[in-house]
Order: sequence, then structure tokens, then C-alpha cells
Amino acid sequence: MKGRIFEIREFTLHDGPGVRTTVFMKGCPLRCAWCHNPEGQSFETETMRSAAPGGSAPGADRTVGRDWTPEDLASELLKNADIMAQSGGGVTFSGGEPLAQCGFILETLPLLKAKGVDVAVETSGYVPLESYRAAIPQFDFVYQDVKLLDAAEFRRWTCGDVSVVLDNIAYLRESGVRFVFRVPLVPGVNDSPSDRAAFVEFARGCRMEFLPYNPAAGAKYPLLGRKFPLDGIPDAIR
Amino acid sequence: MTERIKSLLERTFDKEQAKFRRDVDWKPLLERFVAEGVSDMARARIGLEEMLKAETPAFMDGERLVFLRTVKQIPDLHTEEEMDARRAAGTAFGEKGVVFNMTADFGPAIRDGLETRLLEIDARLAELKSRQDGGFPAQDGSDRESRRPAGGDAEGIEFLENAMLSVKAVIDLAERYDAAGAARPSYQAVAPALRKGARNFHEALQTLRILHYAMWCEGEYHCGLGRIDQYLHPYYKADVESGRLSEDGALEELEEFFIACNRDSDLYIGIQQGDNGQSVMLGGVTRDGKPAFNDLSRLCLKACGELKLVDPKINLRVDKSTPLEIYELGTELTAKGLGFPQYANDDVVIPALQRWGYELEDARDYSVAACWEFLIPGCGMDINNIDAVSFVGALDRALRNLAQRRRDAEGGLRYEDVEKEFFAEIQRRADALVEKYAHVEILPGPFVSVISTDCIKKARDISKGAKYNNFGIHGTGIAVAVDSLASVRELVFEKKLVTLEELVKLLDTDFAGRPDVLAAAKSAPKMGNADARADDLAKWIIGFWGHAFDGKRNDRGGIFRPGTGSAMYYIWHAREVPASPDGRLKGEPLSANWAPSLDVPVKGPVSVVRSFTEPDLGLVCNGGPLTIEIHDSAFAMADGVEKVAHLVKFFIERGGHQMQINTINRETLKDAQKHPERHRHLIVRVWGWSGYFVELDKEYQDQIIKRVELKG
Repeated sequence: MKGRIFEIREFTLHDGPGVRTTVFMKGCPLRCAWCHNPEGQSFETETMRSAAPGGSAPGADRTVGRDWTPEDLASELLKNADIMAQSGGGVTFSGGEPLAQCGFILETLPLLKAKGVDVAVETSGYVPLESYRAAIPQFDFVYQDVKLLDAAEFRRWTCGDVSVVLDNIAYLRESGVRFVFRVPLVPGVNDSPSDRAAFVEFARGCRMEFLPYNPAAGAKYPLLGRKFPLDGIPDAIR
Repeated sequence: MTERIKSLLERTFDKEQAKFRRDVDWKPLLERFVAEGVSDMARARIGLEEMLKAETPAFMDGERLVFLRTVKQIPDLHTEEEMDARRAAGTAFGEKGVVFNMTADFGPAIRDGLETRLLEIDARLAELKSRQDGGFPAQDGSDRESRRPAGGDAEGIEFLENAMLSVKAVIDLAERYDAAGAARPSYQAVAPALRKGARNFHEALQTLRILHYAMWCEGEYHCGLGRIDQYLHPYYKADVESGRLSEDGALEELEEFFIACNRDSDLYIGIQQGDNGQSVMLGGVTRDGKPAFNDLSRLCLKACGELKLVDPKINLRVDKSTPLEIYELGTELTAKGLGFPQYANDDVVIPALQRWGYELEDARDYSVAACWEFLIPGCGMDINNIDAVSFVGALDRALRNLAQRRRDAEGGLRYEDVEKEFFAEIQRRADALVEKYAHVEILPGPFVSVISTDCIKKARDISKGAKYNNFGIHGTGIAVAVDSLASVRELVFEKKLVTLEELVKLLDTDFAGRPDVLAAAKSAPKMGNADARADDLAKWIIGFWGHAFDGKRNDRGGIFRPGTGSAMYYIWHAREVPASPDGRLKGEPLSANWAPSLDVPVKGPVSVVRSFTEPDLGLVCNGGPLTIEIHDSAFAMADGVEKVAHLVKFFIERGGHQMQINTINRETLKDAQKHPERHRHLIVRVWGWSGYFVELDKEYQDQIIKRVELKG
């Protein structure tokens, strides 16, 4: 089975302890209005214009999305096994929604774990419970997104059904796997004092961190020929 | 930081000290030198005497460490015509020709005091003069004739006499300071310690300040400070252990000294503002091989972190046994955007220096010159930046040679021929430099000689040679050459997209009409991606470059040391070539030092470190750091420091020789170009030194903006 990946980035700083490489899996079943990785949404390969680097001439078009076998991916990631071991780092799967390619993940993880590499995942939790239950125990650590708690609001801003996420989180709490809730704060969407209080209440007894809004979140949409959904919604981009 | 230091820091940054400065026209002095045919040695001494006489004791409010420059100009000792005539007669000079880019032996001078040196000079003079008079009274009354050197040692006598007067001129100014300062509240006299030796940490720093100041007044420049955590440690330790000085008190003293390094620095000579060579080396091992990182090393890092100034420029020696905690202390400064510490790897550098003939104890005592060139304080009179070889220029020439020959004689060209011709061109350039510097002279510096090792004993100025007299040769644009070679191999020989002749023509026209070739060139393998297709070429080039000067000697008995530094040649050498086969267009700069080409896609810092530690860097220990740019967001998370520290440790453990890290943000740099007044404190690492971004010329600013910015 092959997995489709839109970026492998080394030395990521926000995805777990030590020196890590993050694998960005292509494709996501949600459409969060604030998504800053729009090239991670479609499961298809796409053409994207490169951002102009360092103020020089605009970059050329490039294809986003490449298919990897578990063996090839593991072999690429294990090139950095030495510094991962030195620093207590590892590999983090992100996306897109990594667990949307659960079969590929389940084939890849053993190849990494066999070499002692720490593996983590960042997930929206918006995947079928069977996938979630199969994958989550295989990870050393889970970053579980909590975007919105209200069903109507969740649907409005992500186009998804919050009950799927909440069911998976209920499993996660009981699973014994180490995890942290991550709340991406989006101005005008989920950052009011009452929103925050609700998140704190939801996470009671668990670790939780708020992620500040990335003001450059919309930067990549034009490169894909798309419009940033939050553009023109003053409340949401203030 | 105390309120007093904070106030001194702000006022120094705002250049309050400039109000004490005046212009002096030294032309009459120079005219006198020429008219009277004054010797080089006497000019050096008279220049220093006149300079120091012209200086006026001046004090900034609240300061306890004194001495600041009040005369803007240093006297010129030779006219351009005089220097040109000497060059025409076959003498080469390093840069301005004076003693520069070295570090004196401050420790013994601080400890013994200058009067001890005067006594030594006096004794040596008596000895030489009695020989000159025809006989030195030997102890046993015999063997008189054999001890008399033929003709007497006039050169030795001239040196010693001038050295003595130079020292007296420095002491004289210190005494004028004390006379002028006596009326100031809580003024501490400076002359006694300078004359008799320092007794405590404060006096040691004050004497160091005076010695260092005096070197600049003698005309030396790029004067490094060396291993201050070693030679100042005895004073620090004695004061702290006896309770005379608290830890906070020591920090305050040190901070005031560091601020003093920024007081006159805008008057110092350099290619760009900030390029002044005030290097400090911390950590490493002692001369007998024991770990040297101590409490004072730690305090130095702390002081720099509080002050956030560009001077002094901190270097940190590490090795595979260095704990992560020390890397983290260094990385705290990186996180503050200071562009230092620059790390040096004892495991690589010490054996490399030994291989080049340095004695083990000296090799263990290494520091750096202005930027990264490894040298031994006190006994190294190396000219370690005497010239540079342009790797991009050499490859360009090699390709043109081959294209020309191809027209002359038909026949299948192989990729191996390119490598062979490139080698041959590098060797030709190396040989040409050996020829160019067959006879080098250095103009004398009697004062700096007094505070260097063994000059009095040998009765010779340090400019005549010290224990080590090697020449360093930079290697510019190595990564661009590697990428270009990889591109030639792929485009011409593997994909056969163009012939070599066509490619050479395209280089002259910026790939006009062939966007396909340009795109292919840009996507050919690049160094920095842990890709053997590029990295193997780098291994091979360094393997060759590291031996390009084997067996060659200069006429001072020294060797030629190849390195991976570029100094400012990354700007200069880029102007000498058109576009290059890697897709770099005409006019675009090269990368500085040992670093990925500008604007190339790299996987990330781990792969960069991996690529740039593949070659045997022990072969190129003239120095030249891996220079990387990390986006400032790396330090937004609490564990950013730990992660970057791991990256440096990884570099060292993989056999890297030297490394420096810029913490930057392109958007901030661009904004600073538009609104310099908002970014006065913004510091960047340029080639081997940290400077204020807004004080750089635009082409140096632009080059930094184009560097590969590594994000997490």
C-alpha cells in the first residue's frame, strides 16, 4: 500500500520533543476555514506555484503530492535516526489528516519502531472509530485537535460532524496512550472567553494547549488558485 | 544588569563617547618620515608616541574601566607611493602591511606588568650593546671572541630601543589618566597595575583594556582578545574565593569590559562596520589537555546575553565530550539573535594543527583571528587570510578551457575530463598564490611585540616572524562549485540536454533562450540535502583542496593553510564570473563560507549538517564555518534552544570543524531595509563576525536576505 505525502519536513519544532521529522500526509476529510495547509486537503496530487523565495524571481510550478511505499518512507526517515536518538526526538505524522491513510500508517510504523524511533501523530480525530482504534495505540504520543465543541459551529467552520471526533476522544481518554489536546485559536471563531472556558472544562484532568492563530494562514491559497475562506470575514481575521 | 551598566550600555550604543573625539591631521608627521628617511621601526614607535600624546584622558559618567579614543585618525606611517615602490620591487604585503589579525599574549603582560618588560628590554639591550662594543664580559673571563656576533646586532638594538620607548608612551598615557582622574569620585588609578602587574579581576580587565587599546593606536587592527576565560580566571577565582568579589560584582566588571569593546569600534578598520576582529575564545582544553570551560566562561556567556552587543564576538570550543548544557548556554545567545557563539571543534582542530606542525601544547591553546582562522595567541604571526581561491572562478575557467580544446580537437569528452581540468585549475591558482606571496614583509609593531611571546628574548619585532608564520588561503564558493559540477554532470553528460560548448555560451547570456536548461540546472542535485550525488563531489573537492599546498613553504618558514572561509570574497568573487552552471545568474552573490548556495531548496538543517560534515574537514583547518540561518520562530517554543543545541552537537559529533548560526527572519530584514531607524539593534552574522544589519552596505544586506532560511 502506498501513502500520499505532500511534505516531509525535518527539524520541526512544534511537533514533539527532540529533533523530529514531520510527515505531512495528503488529504483531509475536513475543510477548516482557517486551514493553513490547503495543499493538504485534497487527496489528489495538485499543481502549486512556489512562493517567491527571498524576494527573488517567482518560483516555478511544482507538483504537490508524492506516493511512497512504507519501506521507502521509513528508509528516508531513518536517515536521521542518529540525531533523533541523540536528542530524544522522532517522527510525527501530520497532514492533512494522517489517519485518513490509516492502512499506510499501520504498515509504516513498525518499520520505524523497530529502529527505536519515537512516533507521534497530530490528528483531527475525524476518522472512523475503527481506524482511530487501530492506529492510536501504535503511537508513543498523540496531539489531538479540539477545534470546536458545538455541533452546529463545528459543521459551519469545518464541514464535519463533531460527534465523530468526540467519540474518538472518548476512546483516547481511556486508551492509556499519552496525549495532549491542541486547540487552534481562531479570532472570531473559537477564541471568546466563554469558548476558552468551555475548552478548559472539556480538557479537565488532561493536558491541553492553545495554539495561537497563524496570521499568515491564508498565504498558500493563491498559489493553488484558491481563495482563503476567511478572507472578507472581518471578525475571523482580526 | 545593574542600573549603572544599563546606563553605560545605552549611552555607549548611542555613541555618547563620540563627543570626546577630534580630528588630527597626521600629514605633517608622514611628510617628516619621508623627508628624513625614518626607518620602519622608528616610524612605528613615533607614530604610537605621537598618537598617545595627542590623546586626552576622557571619562564617561559612571564608568570604572577607563580609556577611550579621543583622536579619530591613526597616523599613516607610509605613503602610498612608498608602499607601491616596495610592491614594485617584489615585496608582497598582507592587506595594509602592518601586524594584524592576531592575538597578543595578554595573560603574561597583565600578570607581570609592563615594567617587568622594560627591565627585560633593558637587560637585553645591555647585552647586545656590550657585544656591539666589542666584548661581553663572559662570566669566566674566557671565550670572549666567540660570543661576539659579527658586526653587532644593530637590528636587535633598534627594535629594543624603540620597544622601550613604545612601552613608556603607553605608561605615560596611563599616568596622565590617573592625574586627570584623581579628582573624580571613586576613581581607581590604572597605572600601578599596568606597571607592576594586576592584583585583582578589576585591575586585570583594566590592564587588558589599555593593552588592547594601545595595539589599535599602534596601527594594528583586527586585534583579537583570545582566551579571556583562561588568562583572566586566576584573578576572578582569587577575588571570588576570598570574598572580595561577589558573582554579581564579577558580572558587572565583565559587562563593563564588554561594553568598552564597543566604545571605539566604529573607528576601527574593517571592510564593513562591525568587521573589527574583537574575537574572544571560550572553553576548550588547557595547554595540558584538561577541560577548560569554567565559571568565568559561563559568566562571559551570561554577560553577552544580557548586553546583546556585537562585540566582543564569542567563540566557543567544544568536543565530543562537551555536555549538552554547554551547547544550550551558547544557544541562548543564538536565540537572542547575536549571531554567535561560533563553535570550534577541538577533536578536529587540534589534530589538524598538529599535522601542520604546531606543537601539541600550542595547538590546545588555539583561538581564532578576526573571524574563524585558527591561531595560537602570542606566538602566531600567521597571515591567515592572505588571499583566496575562487572555486566558482576555477570551474568557470576549467569549463572554458575544455570547450576551447574541444573545438580544437574532436573527440569524446567525458565527465572525468571536467573533474581533471577543474583540479588542474585549482592547483594552478594555488601555485600562483604561492608565487605571489614568495616574499612577504610585515611592518613592525614594537609595542605589540613586547606583549607577544619571546620577542624581547630574540630581540626581534614580531613582524620578523614568530613561532608560527603560516599563510591562510580562503576557499570561496565551494558549495556553488559543487552544485555547478553536479549540474554539469547531469545536464551535459547524463541527460545530454546541452553540450559543454553550448552550456558555456549560455553562462555568458544568463541562459537566454533556454529556460529548460536553467530549470534543469536549478533542479540538479544541491549540496545540503544529504544527497550523495552532490556530497561526494564536495568530499572530493575538499580532499583535493586540503592537499593543494602540500610541500609548499613561504619565505618565513611557514606553510600555506587552506580553509573553507570566504571572508568578503563571496561578494568580490561573484563579480568575476558570469552565471554558473548551477543556475546562479550573473550578479547573484555566492554563499558565504561553508554554506549551501543561496536560495536553493534544502530539506532542512539536519540534512545541511549531514552534507557539510561529509568531507574530511581536518584538511581545511584554516577555518571557515558552516553558516546557517535559522528562522527566529525556532525559538518561539520553550524547547527551541534545546533542539538547536542538539543540532550543533550533532555537527560536532559528525566531525564538523566550525559552525555559526544566524537567527533571522527575512521579513524583519526587509523591513529593516525600509525602516532602519526601527531596527538599530538588529544583529546579523555577516561572514565571520556579527554586525548591526542597518550599518551594512546594501549588497551585504541583500546577500543575507537570500540565504537559505531554515524553518521548523
